[in-house]
Amino acid sequence: MKELNPLLHSQLRLAVMSILMNVEDADFVYLKEKTESTAGNLSVQIDKLSAAGYLTIEKGFLGKRTRTVCRITPLGRKAFEEYVDALKEYIGM
Amino acid sequence: MEEKNLTPNESIRIISQMIEASKHRVAMPDMRISVMWAALSVITAGIVLTCCLITGNPLYNLIWFAIPLIGIPLNIRMVKNTTAKRGSKNYIDRISDGLWSVVGYIGIGLTVICLLFSFFGYNSIWLSMFFYAFIIVGFGAAMQGIVIREKSYVIGGLISILTGFIMIVCVLAGIRLLLIWTIPAYMICFIVMFLVPAIIIRKKLNKANR
Repeated sequence: MKELNPLLHSQLRLAVMSILMNVEDADFVYLKEKTESTAGNLSVQIDKLSAAGYLTIEKGFLGKRTRTVCRITPLGRKAFEEYVDALKEYIGM
Repeated sequence: MEEKNLTPNESIRIISQMIEASKHRVAMPDMRISVMWAALSVITAGIVLTCCLITGNPLYNLIWFAIPLIGIPLNIRMVKNTTAKRGSKNYIDRISDGLWSVVGYIGIGLTVICLLFSFFGYNSIWLSMFFYAFIIVGFGAAMQGIVIREKSYVIGGLISILTGFIMIVCVLAGIRLLLIWTIPAYMICFIVMFLVPAIIIRKKLNKANR
């Protein structure tokens, strides 16, 4: 049986990756709202995913406000797919 | 969202929840921008037609410049608001944004070409903007309809493209394009291309939200 990727086997990181698999990109505020997480926790988890090369973080400005945009990488997409495959094995799908 | 050890079933539940949460606006780009351009085009055309018919002075055609002069700053502002509001970008957003950017760049490029020709006295070149509005913008609307699977956009776009080709055929056949029918045709095309689909989509969304 395949081992579940420990980096993705976490509630918030998995939620972030699931959203990013579904959209082309998402900003920090959007992710915070959809995952119902705190800014601090989300920031830490996003940094972990970014450090693993699973997503890219782009910091920019929208008018006078800062805007952080996250985008999944091909490596992140592959890791997520492998994670889902492993999950299927665990639950016998 | 708390951090805790997940069971495989909980993982599946989180994935499903997040897909559901992020798909609510997958099928629909923001229509306010296209409605703004359509309304601006129709109102401007109406003013030009009225002024030209009352006074007979062709200088009133300069009012057409109100479309880019008002539309471009408004468009920039609306794009900023939309980007901030939607928070995420999906495949449909990217295709729609790219499509209308190309249509916009063609419009800007054609305006520059017309201005250059105007300097040498070829004022009739501005007629090409009409063909742009009918054919290129019509094609954009039809493509938008295909992307978001909305037939009214496709039908509106096709009506506009065909009207544009009728105009070209008239020019080639030596039939004069008179303000009295070309501007109303332009107004009707923009109404069926953008305003009618926007109303239909709004009704569908309201029905779906009920």
